[in-house]
Amino acid sequence: MENISFLSVAPEVVLLIGAVLVLMAEVTLKLGRRAWALLGGGATVAAFGFSILQWLRVDEVMGQLNFSARGVTALRLPMVVMDHMSAFAGMLIFAVAVLALTSAWPLVSSLGSRGAEFVALFLLAVAGLHMMTMASNLILLFIGLETASISLYVVAGFTRDQARSDESALKYFLLGSFASAIFLYGVALSFASTGSTSIYGAGGIQAFFQANVILEPGIALIGVALMMVGIGFKVSAAPFHQWAPDVYQGAPAAAVPMMSAGVKIAGFAALARILTVAFPALQDDWTTAVALLAAISVVVGTLFAIAQSDVKRMLAYSGVAHAGFILMALVGGRAGIPGMWFYVGTYAFQLVGAFTVVTLVTGSRADRAPFDAFRGLGQRAPFLAGMMALFLIAMGGIPATAGFVGKLSVFGAAVDAGYLWLVILGVVMASAGLFFYLRLVVVMFFQDAAEAPGTATAPPELHAPSRVVLAIAGAITLVLGLVPWPLLNLVGDALPL
Amino acid sequence: MDFPILASLVILPVAGAAIVAMLPRNRTELFLPVAVLVSLPTLAVAGYLLFSFETGEAGFQFTERVLWYEPWGLSWNMGVDGISILLVALTALLFPISILASASITKNVKLYMVSMLILEAGLLGVFLALDLVLFFVFFEITLIPMYLLIGMWGSANRVYAAIKFVIYTALGSGLMLAGIIALGIMAGDQFGGITFDYMALLDLELSSNAELWLFLAFGIAFAIKVPLFPFHTWLPDAHTEAPTAGSVLLAGVLLKLGTYGFVRFNLTLFPAASVDLAPWLVTLAVIGIVYGALVAIVQPDVKRLIAYSSVSHLGFIVLGTFALTMQGLQGGVIQMVNHGLTTGALFLLVGMLYDRRHTREISDYGGIAKVMPIFAGVFLFSAFASAGLPGLNGFIGEFMVLLGGYLSFPVHSIIAASGVVLAAIYLLWAYERVFTGPVTKAENEKLFDLNLREIAIVAPLVVLIIYLGVNPKPALDRIEPSVEAILERIETNTDYDVPDFGYTAELPVEAAGEEE
Repeated sequence: MENISFLSVAPEVVLLIGAVLVLMAEVTLKLGRRAWALLGGGATVAAFGFSILQWLRVDEVMGQLNFSARGVTALRLPMVVMDHMSAFAGMLIFAVAVLALTSAWPLVSSLGSRGAEFVALFLLAVAGLHMMTMASNLILLFIGLETASISLYVVAGFTRDQARSDESALKYFLLGSFASAIFLYGVALSFASTGSTSIYGAGGIQAFFQANVILEPGIALIGVALMMVGIGFKVSAAPFHQWAPDVYQGAPAAAVPMMSAGVKIAGFAALARILTVAFPALQDDWTTAVALLAAISVVVGTLFAIAQSDVKRMLAYSGVAHAGFILMALVGGRAGIPGMWFYVGTYAFQLVGAFTVVTLVTGSRADRAPFDAFRGLGQRAPFLAGMMALFLIAMGGIPATAGFVGKLSVFGAAVDAGYLWLVILGVVMASAGLFFYLRLVVVMFFQDAAEAPGTATAPPELHAPSRVVLAIAGAITLVLGLVPWPLLNLVGDALPL
Repeated sequence: MDFPILASLVILPVAGAAIVAMLPRNRTELFLPVAVLVSLPTLAVAGYLLFSFETGEAGFQFTERVLWYEPWGLSWNMGVDGISILLVALTALLFPISILASASITKNVKLYMVSMLILEAGLLGVFLALDLVLFFVFFEITLIPMYLLIGMWGSANRVYAAIKFVIYTALGSGLMLAGIIALGIMAGDQFGGITFDYMALLDLELSSNAELWLFLAFGIAFAIKVPLFPFHTWLPDAHTEAPTAGSVLLAGVLLKLGTYGFVRFNLTLFPAASVDLAPWLVTLAVIGIVYGALVAIVQPDVKRLIAYSSVSHLGFIVLGTFALTMQGLQGGVIQMVNHGLTTGALFLLVGMLYDRRHTREISDYGGIAKVMPIFAGVFLFSAFASAGLPGLNGFIGEFMVLLGGYLSFPVHSIIAASGVVLAAIYLLWAYERVFTGPVTKAENEKLFDLNLREIAIVAPLVVLIIYLGVNPKPALDRIEPSVEAILERIETNTDYDVPDFGYTAELPVEAAGEEE
């Protein structure tokens, strides 16, 4: 047992216990929604607390496990690794999860006894996501990926009475399992070429590349490429993004924040670890691929977002573009990871905030969110509209918001890596992106609700906890735009071992 | 460090915006007076700055420097020199005036006033910032309030104009951001630490290729902002659709961000590229001068006419800047101020007319001078100033620009001189159609003349137009050393020789002959 640090798996353990207890509370103890909220929220908050503890005690625990920065260790094939990167990812994922669960609460309440299932699945998904970021073994990473994905497939189809929700779940499931299979095939090929599925450890991939030079890395390259495709699908990077608009649109609005924000955080963390820790030897090859993926994502995401008439679809395509911007940081390899973290970290909160507004405006079970539903929101619900505008402006990368600092950091990383063309493409697309972000601002503030007959003119009912979610996400967006230094310092350390 | 006077210039409007935001929602009558009041301290500080500014010094004064974020080399780095001091004063002056002129705004007045004050902070920040990222942040921050001003309080086609304005500007500034990052990282390679400090970047050694691309990255952003032909198409829409105050500030200050950027960054950071590309920019400027003027002549909409006249006038400023002569550059800088005053006055006057009749069509007027004599007089005066009548401010700037332009680009300058004639045509012809003759429309017979508030709005501008026209020396004295330093820098970094007339006798520019 001396090789086990319970702290390193504490968040997962808490979450799984939470999930089980929520189900028990419903099935055996017949406790109401309040108990689910207490258990689900409590488990997530506890996981968040453990992540902070992990961050503070990384060095100590790693010492116990005889890890060192070079990956030489008493353990031959460690399964999990607890480093600043996984701890930081934990803090982000769990914080986002608390907010997302809060904003999903109207949906949970409306589901009756099935609400407990929703909460349990949500907790499982969160545990799976964090497992992706701390996996030292590609198989475990895959298990985390699948735990999260399968939970989210179900969540996407949770409003079974709505055909579109079923369609969304099925589409997500089919394409998602296809992508998982591709990822797994990538793992198999990388095993074939390096003889290991472990990233760290004396018998791991990292150690293999330190000891050997592969003269013909064909198989390894294909393996890396397939893993990139698999994760590219999860984070909805073009050209693997086609599922995102349909799934976001069809899934119940309240389920989308976790689906979009949480998966992006975990996916990019996993990708960064695989690329920069396991395969730095092939960096010259994979940076080109990452740059291409980034370029395609930014262009496709932006251009398609312009053409959307549904806010959820628009945010889905803008998410594709954002995936591209985040990938830009990774062309810098390890040096780009802090930039990636800052961008993902702040974007996740913008995304949660934006989808929370969508949930409130259209209702938590709604599938569609047409622009018309937002008409005159500035008058009907100034707080919602103002917050939405803030998130949109931040996504557009306007200074004084965290979005600008995020863009600055990923562009900086890309320029530093010599990818000036990518940055120029990025800035051009970022400014084109302002068009569709501001279009929604126009709809909310410059158009009166009365102009469109048949749309809601009454202010949307404001779920008080959601208001808190918006205030927190808004504060993060604004404060980190004005004073980004603390987070920049923090992410500077949030590197993989 | 002394009292951070420049930071206070940025903080005061923000604090003012906060005060306005905290006013009770139902006291709408308070918003405008309070907004005017809170913009006055900024004006006072700017005035103090203007008078305590040491003339004859080329360097930056009142500098402030606080390191913000070491790893990225970011700092709160501010200073004024002879080029920015006048623009700061102009900005601080135009804001109380344009807020006072916003009485016709009735919808969302509080947000309007807050946007105006945030815009003021952003614009002052742009002129004061000496750190490139800080500059960019302020440059971009101005976008949002301006977008709201046009989009929420503009006229019929406002949403289209607002979006067009934002996309055009953001596209340019996006390229500039790429340039700024590249510059900072190159500085990191050379100095061993990333920096965006303007003063440090002056020592950066760039390959001629890098310099060319960086010049373009910055230059396109500024060319769109100026706007230089053929990047000007956003301007007529934005100017025309914006509310009066929006047009005044767009013409008066926002366009100057472009010309200021050219002078401050392009000329000094990329001297070799400036010299190489000067003929192109001057050519575009001259096309803009003539094209803008020709299009202005045929405009049926009086606001659009003034908007196109801005294209023409800003062409003069770019011509003066890239003539790369003492007179040209000095003329360009002072013309930035002049254009802000005269075009600001014209837009204010058109706004007052619009408030009365709710139309901007020239054909809807005629013989207005009979019912509104004071208004007609002030309008004619401003039109003369805009057309460059000697004795008024426009003359000094255009004369110096053409003089300086002639030294390096004689043919261009001769063509550009036609812009002065064309300006007289479009302005006076418009005056004739709107003001002279009999009153043809019944609606126009009952128009009342300027009231006291409106006279108070235009009076400061009229006074300054005359003052700068007869006594430009104090302004030129402040500009001159800084301009001279820029040209000296270009001479030392390239094999370019600043041409001059070989004597310094009667020119207002005493130092012109002292250069090699």
